[in-house]
Amino acid sequence: MSLYEEVKVHGYAEFCKAVSDRKGKDIFAYFSGNVIKMTTSEPTVRGEISHLPEGSVFIYCQVGQRDYWKNPNNDFKKTLKLSGVPTLLRYGTPQKLVEEECFKANLVRMMFTED
Amino acid sequence: MGPLIQNNMAAFFKSRHRWKRTSCFTILTRNLTGKYDYDLVVIGGGSGGLACSKEAAQLGQKVAVLDYVEPSAKGTKWGLGGTCVNVGCIPKKLMHQAALLGTAVKDARKYGWKIKDPVSHDWETMAEAVQNHVRSLNWGHRVQLKDKKVKYLNLKGSLLDEHTVRGMTKSGKESFLTAKNIVIATGGRPKYPTDIPGAMEHGITSDDIFWLKEAPGKTLCAGFLTGIGQDTKVMVRSIALRGFDQQMAGLVTDHMQAYGTRFAWGCVPQRVDKLPSGALQVTWADTRTGKEETDSFDSVLWAVGRAPEAKALGLDKVGVEVNRETGKIVVGADESTSVSNIYAFGDIGEGRPELTPTAVKAGRLLARRLAGQSTQLMDYDNVATTVFTPLEYSCVGLSEEEAVGRHGQDAIEVYHAFYKPLEFTVAERDASQCYIKVVCERGGEQRILGLHYTGPNAGEVMQGFSLALRCGATLSHLKETVGIHPTCAEELTKVSITKRSGLDATVTGC
Repeated sequence: MSLYEEVKVHGYAEFCKAVSDRKGKDIFAYFSGNVIKMTTSEPTVRGEISHLPEGSVFIYCQVGQRDYWKNPNNDFKKTLKLSGVPTLLRYGTPQKLVEEECFKANLVRMMFTED
Repeated sequence: MGPLIQNNMAAFFKSRHRWKRTSCFTILTRNLTGKYDYDLVVIGGGSGGLACSKEAAQLGQKVAVLDYVEPSAKGTKWGLGGTCVNVGCIPKKLMHQAALLGTAVKDARKYGWKIKDPVSHDWETMAEAVQNHVRSLNWGHRVQLKDKKVKYLNLKGSLLDEHTVRGMTKSGKESFLTAKNIVIATGGRPKYPTDIPGAMEHGITSDDIFWLKEAPGKTLCAGFLTGIGQDTKVMVRSIALRGFDQQMAGLVTDHMQAYGTRFAWGCVPQRVDKLPSGALQVTWADTRTGKEETDSFDSVLWAVGRAPEAKALGLDKVGVEVNRETGKIVVGADESTSVSNIYAFGDIGEGRPELTPTAVKAGRLLARRLAGQSTQLMDYDNVATTVFTPLEYSCVGLSEEEAVGRHGQDAIEVYHAFYKPLEFTVAERDASQCYIKVVCERGGEQRILGLHYTGPNAGEVMQGFSLALRCGATLSHLKETVGIHPTCAEELTKVSITKRSGLDATVTGC
């Protein structure tokens, strides 16, 4: 039995639906692009996933193709204010780890375990 | 008996007198070699404390920083980062910007923009945006400390002895850390008047204003509020901007009065009462008329000075000397205190400027000295600063009063000019208080002693000139500098009228 719920989504619309379906929950979102280099931080995040708080939600979101991401007006950049991928954030809070920060286990663990 | 146990015995004998005072728990936490838990423990996670601890960690020291925010009288509290990030520089500048934009929107019509009347301001929108930015800075600091391997503890720190720091949680649970060196950077908090009934109960301070969920309404005290449409009155007991050049302070307040902030000069508040409506009734004595006056306000903001966060540190027990008048820690040029391995800097240091950049720099230099990497001391001279009043005022070096005091009236020359920012012309804005003053030596090379400027973007204007002062700029250097046109800053390079001449100092067109 897992302490957290994992949800996999593709694109902005699916992401928003996943969030609105889980109102009131502590939501952690990991945004990944479809580029090979993105996968190197995944083991770091996956390695710390056991530290997620009980009852929280982990949304793994593929942002879309390279061309979509490169467009500065895409929804992720405009509305969610993402500046790069991968990004790991705690939804509704200013807690965010961007790019190289996602490769650091101690930072990922800090986000999952500290207030 | 092996060498390990012999080392312990040696440590025991060395610290025997400390054994008597500290609890068994402390001794058990020391590792077997008898060394300290940390090379450096910093009490205070503000501008100074964070800079110092991060620098020390980068230089290979084992560092811990304790940060704790005692809630204000109104219950306001905030995250890591200290005064600057949470209740000082950052929210102040952002709300000042909100006010400037309000004025800019009105000016915009003269520049052809079709903007419908009335233009109104929503406090909640501004407050949320500012508070979100502050929270992102709190998080940013957490990430930096973690990344640089600085141990962060959200505990209220105090001194147990010269090598032991006690950390306390909100609920009173204690823990102890030992350190080779201890740095105190706990800063200060706004003062409440102690002799005015109702002051603490009904009033707020800068600790609270940036975190209010609703607009403060009709307020007694605080300039930016007029700019965002709040009815504001500032009550001044004697002088405004004490410690600053008083001529410049007068220009600042004249401007505020001209733009709608009401001033009550020579008035001393006597009591604050809450009315059944919820409004606050303030009674004050007008020293100029001898009469007692009252008025009601939605909010009363006290801005009557800041007090050092030193009382609960246990300083007297450990023997750290404190200035009896100010309550601040007495420090040497190298930020040392009367106890050899304890240092203090930032707002808590006696005689230090209460500014973020000096705390940051002093903190970094201290860390380098403690790590044995440098002997460089902090230079507190010629530090430029800006007061972000509705008409901004920036300066570097001596005020005119200080220059006269140090050198004598006859040995100084003051060049000055009243100028008009180009942008004010089309906007039909009054520029009567836009002014520049260059205080320099009268003889020899005429070294510049102080520069003063009131006008738009005062901080941006002054930054480059502070470099000039650091390099020993003279009046000729200034006059030989070609200005950038059209700017306000160029007026500094064009001064030619002296106060001594008595001539009209108003700049005419180019």
